[in-house]
Parts: sequence; structure tokens; C-alpha cells
Amino acid sequence: MLRIENLTKIYPNGTRALHDVSFEVQDGEFLVVIGLSGSGKSTLLRCINRLIEPTSGKIFWDDIDITAASPAELRHIRRHIGMVFQQFNLVKRSSVMTNVLSGRLGYANPWLSLLGIWPAADKEMALKALERVGIADKAQSRADALSGGQQQRVGIARALMQDPKIILADEPVASLDPVLSHSILQYLEQLNKDGLTVICSLHFLDLVHRYATRVIALKDGVKVFEGLPKEIDRAKFKEIYGEEAQEVRAASFEAEA
Amino acid sequence: MKTKAPKRPSPWLAGALSLLLPGLGQIYARQRYRGGAVLIAFLVVLGMVAWYGQPAWYFAPLGIWLWNVWDAVGQAGERRVSVLIPLLLGLTAAYSIGWQMVRVDFTSANWERGLAVLRPMFRPDLFERRTELNRMWTPISVPCSTTQEAPPARRQDGEKLAFATPDCAGVLETVIVSVSGMWPDTDTEIWWETNIGDDKPLGGNENAPLIVRTDETGSLTTTIRVPSTILIAQPDPTLQLTHRIYFDQRRPIGGLQFSTNGGFVVKGMTESVTMALMATFLAVLLAIPISFLAARNLMSANPFTFAIYVVVRTVLNFVRSIESLILAIVFVIIVGLGPFAGVLALAVHSVAALAKLYSEVIEGIDPGPIEAVRATGANWVQVVRYGVIPQIVPPFTAFTIYRWDINVRSSTVIGMVGGGGIGFYLIQWIALNDMRAVGAAFIAIAIVVMTLDYVSARIRERLV
Repeated sequence: MLRIENLTKIYPNGTRALHDVSFEVQDGEFLVVIGLSGSGKSTLLRCINRLIEPTSGKIFWDDIDITAASPAELRHIRRHIGMVFQQFNLVKRSSVMTNVLSGRLGYANPWLSLLGIWPAADKEMALKALERVGIADKAQSRADALSGGQQQRVGIARALMQDPKIILADEPVASLDPVLSHSILQYLEQLNKDGLTVICSLHFLDLVHRYATRVIALKDGVKVFEGLPKEIDRAKFKEIYGEEAQEVRAASFEAEA
Repeated sequence: MKTKAPKRPSPWLAGALSLLLPGLGQIYARQRYRGGAVLIAFLVVLGMVAWYGQPAWYFAPLGIWLWNVWDAVGQAGERRVSVLIPLLLGLTAAYSIGWQMVRVDFTSANWERGLAVLRPMFRPDLFERRTELNRMWTPISVPCSTTQEAPPARRQDGEKLAFATPDCAGVLETVIVSVSGMWPDTDTEIWWETNIGDDKPLGGNENAPLIVRTDETGSLTTTIRVPSTILIAQPDPTLQLTHRIYFDQRRPIGGLQFSTNGGFVVKGMTESVTMALMATFLAVLLAIPISFLAARNLMSANPFTFAIYVVVRTVLNFVRSIESLILAIVFVIIVGLGPFAGVLALAVHSVAALAKLYSEVIEGIDPGPIEAVRATGANWVQVVRYGVIPQIVPPFTAFTIYRWDINVRSSTVIGMVGGGGIGFYLIQWIALNDMRAVGAAFIAIAIVVMTLDYVSARIRERLV
């Protein structure tokens, strides 16, 4: 169980990205965070594994206080929190295999990893992870030779290498065609069914309805909604996204419906 | 002038104003920038012509003035007027003045000199046919002594026999020389070697080889004159000294070999490429640490590091603006003539150039992968190894190869100021008017530079 208490983040330039946000995530949930661009979704996700240091507030994972962890402890905690990014964040010039293996760095022998030497078991694991997302044949390609959807699958494979208990997905489909969104989210859904906790920020309401088990909404860094996806109707949507907002439905959803 | 402020400006008034002062009419027609531009253009062209002082060229500012009146009328009438005419007038004036100022000279004398220089370059002195040498010589005494009998000017070597008659001769006296037992029907070069080993040609006005053909039995007989430039012993000018007359025959034995100058071309080119390699290597070692100090994103965290950044950048820009050729002159003074001076000059210039390129790579680094690697629980060194290095090594390598490419080009020139490499030979051949050797050097430079250009482009294509 993940418990976030009174989380606040103020950037050095004075921007208040998060203000007193508290919520809980039970193990095995698929929690979706919604909100406008700049509402604090990315900051929230990055505070959980402390890629961004929160200004105040606490984050507990079971009984471990993530916010109080020493650098070494923090690296241990991060090993179990996989992360998937909007821009995939692959090293474009490295091979897919190297990118996936880098997910294992938290476990690897530091000296051998610096020389680029990986145990056979890790390589096998990487191939399995790539197989799981259906691109094992691309292992030796350069990452930037892949399409956007394939790159995001490499990103998921990299997260899988961490043996994660939690997956943080920061708008994993915002850079992809709507048609590809479902294929990526279905991998996350599968992982969720296998017992992983997924915390994912999303833009499209229809995707929220389809995948989320629970939803929280942020507006200007403040939590404005917490509940079940079906509770978000058009009125609620307008409240979260502002009066001018028009719901854009993902094309694939139309096609499927 | 602003009596009633009519809704549309009067073309007549606009024209009249522009006649008074170029651009004024346009300003009146609410084309302030156009008016300003016309005035500046007119003044520039007028100033140019006035400064050059050729009255005939005043047609250009005059033409612009007339056009300006027409333009003002057009502007007031809201009619489009092309700026082509003043543009052409201005350019014509500029080019005509430039033509005279740089004393362009395409007269026939230059064409002839050009051909005289270029023609030998089309027969580059790079290879020669492999030949074998058949050589014979005879001694001869110069001058004839009054007290001492000259030894016989005669020498036998197996089949070959060479002799001169008489056995001794004074400067500019005529001698009959004969040789037999040589190759038949072969051109034979006859030349003089003085008692101290100087070679003297015997043909023409003592400035060309004397070539005589042997008969079908392999013999020849001809007359020569003792060269005027040979040294006479002092203080006794009558002292007999032994000189030699050589008979050389050459015939091809198939195949090609580097000529003497061709050998120098290869040596010089190898030296140039090596100089470039060493300079680039030295530069990389220094440029990598410096580039981090010159990267804005790393150094702008606090005022102290930012000050370092500004200083480093300024120094780099300063050094980069000095051509490596000029640096070479300085280094030749410090370390002496030779390739090391050239290496230092190229290295200093390259450090500045590479550090700037590297720092721009560092500035353009994508933070995404770094964030992703941090998120996996990697430690700091692992983040650098997996998030930073893969991003910077390919562009660093690409820029380094590019720099090596540039350095090879520069190193061919740097020898001209004494920095070693092919340029060192080239400047001497140019001074000696040995255009065939110059042609050979040009070919070698072109081949090496083109090859490197191609190879480096292909490698960079793969890396970037």
C-alpha cells in the first residue's frame, strides 16, 4: 500500500506544482491521475520515486518512508518502482537490448555494468521482457529506428527488468496515435492483473473509463476528485478541465465501439 | 507642405519632395522605411563614387535619384514600383569600382604565363619509368701544367673504354672525348664532375645536358668544352687537378617507381596526415575537460561557475579566431622548423574548435534518458555510463573525425611557414619553379583530402 500525505512541491522559481495532496493506493490497483497539462500529474508521479524532491509531505510504501530514505535506500526502493514516460526516454543511439538491460542497473554488479558486461541471466530476462511486449526481433536495432509504439514497448520492457511492484506511467500514450494507445495500455492492464500496482496519468476520458479501477484528479496542484471512474460524468469532467473543455474521444474507442 | 493633409498623398508633391531629397517623397507617402532605405542607398552609392573619384561613375547615384522620383510618384499613387533598377545601378557601380580597384588583368601576358605554369603541372613529377644505368667515365687533368706531364686521360673497364684527347686542357678549351663498348644506338648523357664532386652539364650554354647517341657498335666520339665554372687551384693556378667526364646510358626495364620528387611527395603527405592525427589527438585530450567548463547548462548553476564559463568561452573564441597558419609562425619561432611546430599550431586551434563543438553537444543532451536511468535505481556512475555517455560519444567522435579532416587540409598549408609536412616541400618547389613537382603535390593533396572527406562523411553519417 502506498500512502501519500500532505504532499507539496514548490519549484525554486516559485511555481506551486502540488499543494497538500493526500491519497492512498492499495496494492493491485490501476489508479489513473487526470488533470490538465501543468496540473501537477508529472510532478506527483516523480515525487513518488523522488526523481523530484517534494518540498514537504510524506510518502509511505507499506511502512517505509520514501521521503526519508537515504540515497542508498532510495536506490533500493527505486529498483522496485518501474517508470514509463511520455517521451519513452530511451537512449536513442543505443540498441534496444542495451536500453532494456539498463532497467536492471539497480541489481547489476556496478563494476561489470560500467564495462557493459551483463550476466547471461539478465540478457535472457531482457529477451523475455521484449518477447512479452512482442518486439523480441528488434533487440539489436537502434532504439531510434523503432516506431513510437515500439519505443514505448521498449520502455515497458525496461520497467519490467526491475521486477517492479509498482509501475508509474507518466502519460504513456500521449505521444502516440490513439490507435496505439490501447495496445500500450493493454500491456499495463495485463501487468496490473498479474498483481502489480499501476499509477498512470492519462488525458483521454474514454481511456480512463476503460482501464482505471480508481481515479484521482488534480487541478492546479490540488486534488479535486477521488473516486471510481464511472463517477466522472460530463459535469465532473468540465469541473476538472474547465468550462471550455471539450471531450476528445480517442479514435480507436470510436472504432471499437 | 502639410496645408490640408489630403486623404491620398499627391503624386506631384511626392515627386517634387523626392527630387529635393531622395526618400523624402516616400516618407511623405507614408512609406517611412522605404524612404529611409532609398536615402541610405543613395548616400552609400554617392559616397562610394565620390570616394573613388571617377566622375564617370556618377551616373549610378544620378540614376538612383531619378528612379527615386519615379518611385515617390508611384508610392503616392499606390502603384508598385520595382527596386530592380536601383539595385542593378548600385551593384554595377560597386562591381565596376571593385574591378578597377583590384586591378583585374586578363591580358594575354597573364594567359601565357598561366599556361607556362599550368602545362608542366599536367605532367606531374610523381612516377618515373624504372631504368637501369650503364655508366663509364674517364679522368682528365685541368689545367695543363708547365712542369708536370699529365697522366693519360684514359680508362678501361671490361669491354668499355673511355678516353679524352688531349690528356689535359684549360678552362673553356675544347677536348675530344670518346667511349666504346657501351650499349649500341642509345642516347648517352655526357657530363663533367669536378675534382670536388660538382656536377656540370656540358650541353647548351653549360645549362643543359649534352646527349649524344652511340653508333651500332656502341661507340661515340664528340667534342666538349671544359666548363667555365670549374675552380682553379690557388695560389698556384697551374696546379693540375683530376676531373672526370661521365658517359651515362639509361634504358627502361619495365614498371614504374616513385621519382625523387614523387618520393618527397609521399614523405611529405605522410608527415602531413600524421601531424593532423597527432594534433587532433592532443586537442581531444584537452578539449574534453574544457568542454564541460564551456557547457552553459552545467555551469549556470551559480555565479562562480558561470564566471568560469564566461572566461572559458571568451578564451576559446579568442583562440579560435586565430588561424592555425599564424599560430604556426609563432610556434616555429618557439620550437624551431619542422612538424612539431605544425602539430602545436593545429592542436591549439583544434582545442578551441573542438571544445566549442563538444560543449554544444553537452548543452544539447536529452535529460529524458538520464531521468529514466535514475528511476531504475542506478547509482551516479551508472547514470553517467548509461544515460550520458551513449548520448555524447557518437557526436564527439563525429566532430573529432571532422576536425581531423580539417586538420589534414590545414597541415598541407602549414608547412609553407616552416611547420613541416607537404607544404614544406611545396613552397620550395614553387620557389624553384618546379611546376611538375607542384603538380604531383597537388594530386597527392587532392587524393588524400578527398578520400578523408568521403570516409569522414560516411563515418559521421553512421554516428549522428
